[in-house]
Amino acid sequence: MTSYLPAVAEELLRDIRKVYQETTQIPDDLLLALKFVFGPSALQALDLVDQRSVTCLSSPSGRKVFQFLLYAQVIGGSGHLYTCYASCHYCPCPAFAFSVLRRNDSLLCKHILAAYLCQAMGLSQHETVTDQQMSDILSGKAGRGT
Amino acid sequence: MADILALVFRHNNAQPRDLKNLSFASGPDRNTLPCMIVGERCGIKTSLLFLTAVTAAAELGVRVLFLTPSPIQSLSGPLKDSLANLDPDGLKKIKFMYPRSQEELLQDVASLHECVRGPAGPPSLLIVDGLEHYLGAGGRGPTAARGEDQSAAAHVAALLADTAAFLTQKLEERGEACAPCRVIVSFDVEWQGHTPPGDPSAQDPLLSVLDRYFSVRCTLDRDRNPAAPAPAAAGEPGDVWQIYFSGVGIADGHTSAQEDGSVLGQQWRLAIRPNGAMEFSPVSAESLASM
Repeated sequence: MTSYLPAVAEELLRDIRKVYQETTQIPDDLLLALKFVFGPSALQALDLVDQRSVTCLSSPSGRKVFQFLLYAQVIGGSGHLYTCYASCHYCPCPAFAFSVLRRNDSLLCKHILAAYLCQAMGLSQHETVTDQQMSDILSGKAGRGT
Repeated sequence: MADILALVFRHNNAQPRDLKNLSFASGPDRNTLPCMIVGERCGIKTSLLFLTAVTAAAELGVRVLFLTPSPIQSLSGPLKDSLANLDPDGLKKIKFMYPRSQEELLQDVASLHECVRGPAGPPSLLIVDGLEHYLGAGGRGPTAARGEDQSAAAHVAALLADTAAFLTQKLEERGEACAPCRVIVSFDVEWQGHTPPGDPSAQDPLLSVLDRYFSVRCTLDRDRNPAAPAPAAAGEPGDVWQIYFSGVGIADGHTSAQEDGSVLGQQWRLAIRPNGAMEFSPVSAESLASM
């Protein structure tokens, strides 16, 4: 997802990855930077990470890893299941539709940021699905807002 | 993906061409970002996409997946000529699919990852003709698109981009020269029978969403020359179009682009010849300056 984030955000995620690998903590200055760059989504995303809400799915075809993220299904606050793609920004949640697509005042929603953070911190849950199940998930036929 | 379009333009250039030199550009000038062809509602975009598919499959050996709402009923003059001169085996590299709804389109694209282990290998050019058909945009007005429509447009566009990224990875693993996987779609920009003035994205919420995912826009503007005695109908002999690329994948300044031969910033003129052939010619910097 590198090309879809501003350089400052990419740098911040790289720093978080590096520091977390060394200390298993995110220091205050990086948390503040996270809040500064991503706004209110940062705290909500960190909450999702703390709850281990992100699951990376993979199928035998290999559709699972593209540089940064696997297919991350994030359990939304309202109990909905959202699927975020690995190589570009899309989330079916209302915040993405409103703040990112419609008002264009956010870079991404808390689910996509949580997926980024989980990838950086190595805290994703991993599951394997069949190719057919992966197709249904990708198309939104399964695992989308249900 | 603008590189493959520019290659098709060069291949069908008004000037004499050397078919043996037909190949993708290499190096930093190669533009393989997802591309969206926009223009008023008419069949010229379908013809252009089909010509792209035929050229890519027969001349470059690229496996093409052509998704369109309905089968193409007839071929225009230049396509008939092209097909007559092409190796039939090359055309077997084009696979047509006819998803009738957004759900079917999503399912067809989402299942492409299942074919990567097959003997034929994955496609390296995904073409979607008439994207507006799948986004419920047929009767939309400037403010008609609601949040759900925008989210649906983002879903379709993101799935295409994500699938292309995955197929690119697989093509590179197989060591195929046609990597990366390219995506080209067409989208109508027209309300109530006329194309809006200015930047269509400012007035079309769906187009602004699609621009997020299709980094390069190839705009077809019909050349309505008031001096012409009798303007030709769209796509008919005598019809003339201006074609230009824009977007984040395009560098500023067409002069240097024309000099180095890359697709960046190039502008083209498309003329439908009396025999129906589509003929492209590059627009020089001098011509642009005098416009």
